[in-house]
Parts: sequence; C-alpha cells; structure tokens
Amino acid sequence: MSRVNDVGGQGGFGALEIEADEPPFHADWEARVYALNSVLVRNGVYRLDEFRDAVERMPPRAYLAASYYERWLYAIETLLAGRGPAGEG
Amino acid sequence: MRAEFRAGERVRVRAVDPAGHTRVPRYVRGHVGRIVECQGRWPLADECAAGVAEPRVEPVYTVAFAAGDLWGEGGHEVTVDLWESYIERAGKDGA
Repeated sequence: MSRVNDVGGQGGFGALEIEADEPPFHADWEARVYALNSVLVRNGVYRLDEFRDAVERMPPRAYLAASYYERWLYAIETLLAGRGPAGEG
Repeated sequence: MRAEFRAGERVRVRAVDPAGHTRVPRYVRGHVGRIVECQGRWPLADECAAGVAEPRVEPVYTVAFAAGDLWGEGGHEVTVDLWESYIERAGKDGA
C-alpha cells in the first residue's frame, strides 16, 4: 500500500503557501525536535531511514492534520517507545 | 563492482508497491526514464528502514522522466534518484 506521505504530483491539496523570509523554525519547540532527532540519529539510536519510516506509519488522518515538526515528534516518540532510553523501565 | 546502467540508457521503474518504507515515488512507478548519471553506491533505504543489520549497498542513479509522460502535460524533465533494484532495463520500444 502506498502511504499517506506519497503525494508527489498529486493535486487537490490547494496552492503551496510560500512564506517570504521564512525562518528555519516557527517556534522554539520545533528547533528542539530537530536537534533531538539529530542527536538520536548521530548516536545510532535509530537510522534516518527508520525515522522516515516512522513518520510514514503515522495514522493517515493524524498525518494530514499534523504540521511538519509534529510529524517528526510523533516519529521520535514512536521509535523511542519501542527501544532506547524511553522504552526501558 | 561496476554499476549496471550507463548514462543515456532507458530504464523502467519496477511497478511495485512495497508495504514498508521506499524511496520510489508513486508517480514514477511503471514509467520509463533515462539514466542521467550514477551517484555512487549507497545502503538500500528500504532495508535500512526495516532494521536490516547489513543492508544491500547498490548504485543510485539519477533518472530523468519527461513530465508529459508522468502528468500528461509539461515540456520539462523530472529527475528522481533511484536505487538499482528499483529499476530494470527498458526495451527499445519502451516496453
């Protein structure tokens, strides 16, 4: 089954909103999520491809309703719940 | 080990729909494109995502598709980077 993320070339989502002078992050928590994922990948807790897989396994309805970094946070939580420090004890 | 495909060769993207993670966008599956260049050899993302301890390492090719073939319109090309096992040689008639 093709997953909900695979929408390249698909219409019906409306026009892309291009933000002038867009900042890297729109809130501090987004930068923290970005940094957290970088640290976890660099330390070998999971691979980048496992992270992408976890993003894609998000339930479709939630995926479409979530922002970019909300999806990242979901994937981090999913992966850490299955292994690593957050999965222990 | 040399790469199997050369620049200019026509290849067809395998029309598969794997259950797990893959780096093949749905919009190129089954379509014929042209090898632009090889980007070196990289661990297969599908197997990395599945947690395979020693994933296959394959050549990754930049493949160009005519936008008109993909979308039915557009005079430009769309390029996608694809692992070797995602593609197969296309016949001269594009079959």
